[in-house]
Amino acid sequence: MRRIVSVFSAIFAISAGILVLLGYFVRIDPLPQVRDLLIDWTVIIAGAAVFVGILNLIMVHMEKIRTRQKGAGYGALLVISLFFTAVYGVVFGPEDPLMRLSVDAVIIPVEGTLMALLAVTLIYASIRLLRRRVDIASVIFLAVALAFLIAVVLIPIIPVSNSFLQFLAMFSRGGARGLLIGIALGTLLTGLRVLFGADRPYGGN
Amino acid sequence: MNIELISAIVGFTLTLLVFSYLFGDNPLFRFAVYLFIGVSSGYAAAVIWHYVLMPKLITPLMNDPNRNILLIVPLVLSFSLLAKLLPRISWLGAFAMAILVGVGAAAAVGGALLGTLIPQAQASIDAFGLGGASNPFAKLGEAVVMLAGTVLTLAAFHFGAKRAPDGTPKRNVLVEWVAWFGRLFIAITFGVLFAGVYLAALVAMIERLGSIIQFILQLIGS
Repeated sequence: MRRIVSVFSAIFAISAGILVLLGYFVRIDPLPQVRDLLIDWTVIIAGAAVFVGILNLIMVHMEKIRTRQKGAGYGALLVISLFFTAVYGVVFGPEDPLMRLSVDAVIIPVEGTLMALLAVTLIYASIRLLRRRVDIASVIFLAVALAFLIAVVLIPIIPVSNSFLQFLAMFSRGGARGLLIGIALGTLLTGLRVLFGADRPYGGN
Repeated sequence: MNIELISAIVGFTLTLLVFSYLFGDNPLFRFAVYLFIGVSSGYAAAVIWHYVLMPKLITPLMNDPNRNILLIVPLVLSFSLLAKLLPRISWLGAFAMAILVGVGAAAAVGGALLGTLIPQAQASIDAFGLGGASNPFAKLGEAVVMLAGTVLTLAAFHFGAKRAPDGTPKRNVLVEWVAWFGRLFIAITFGVLFAGVYLAALVAMIERLGSIIQFILQLIGS
């Protein structure tokens, strides 16, 4: 049975992938329509997958509470807040004033404050980097970051610092383009491995 | 008590709880973070229900089942994903996962090719177009530096190596040098990115501290 599932799931993945890819590059009916249909189905399945993920989160924390593991109290808080927000949101919709309250009072302040903590954490990380690894790359990295920050602050006082930023951008744009192309090549390779069935991360072994 | 005041009090309290992390990991910080994960997961569930599952699956099936009969396929596949929660029948969810991965891989391949590789290569070529440039030499220099940065950065990730007489893998000397310069470009790029992220974090900190001060002033004022 496991073998049959493995073979059929691979056939599903490869055929769906190839049809979508053909829909992108071959503009002959009905390939674009099939591509759109498959993408629509995938969006629905991905939405359901998020629900399953949330259910799994609840189950993991319920198990924590049941076995009275360390941090079970926080787990209970998570499950209760998740349950009430999800049920209320599903019934009344995300635009309901109480749902907006959950966004304005909980999500935005916590997200913003976590982002603010990043400012402190990044400073700490830079100091640690200089302590643990002093080589040309890390020195250039920190020097550029510092120079960039100083130049940004000085723009209103010394307008010429804007030229320095543009000079820096010339180098960083080249590097960023190289990184982007590298990421795209990696994505392309990984995607093609899945489409050729060399990688089967869906349980097809 | 109006809804804005409740929102301000809760937001103020949670901001202080999260800032308590500056003194190290503590129960107050964990309380805020677990509450945040719970509420944001619940909110995500509500958004997906109302903006994805209802309009794309449930409403069309309820309103016109004969015309939308094909939607039975994603419906069945979506339900099959629930099997992933039970290890003994988790294989039932493999088909839905296969569709997700297959279509995702194809979209990624198409996106990488049409959205990144071709436009970035085109932009590298276009940078050498000197027509209309006020200072052609400066523009040419900029294009050369950017092209060198792109090529050297890519070369930094070339890990092909031959086996040395002592058995250890060794990169070609030329590649080693090129990769070294590539690492310098990467360091500059990450330095600029780091500064950008730091600025964003700083803006967030100013906004949060501003909201705390604003809240206290409002309390004093009222």
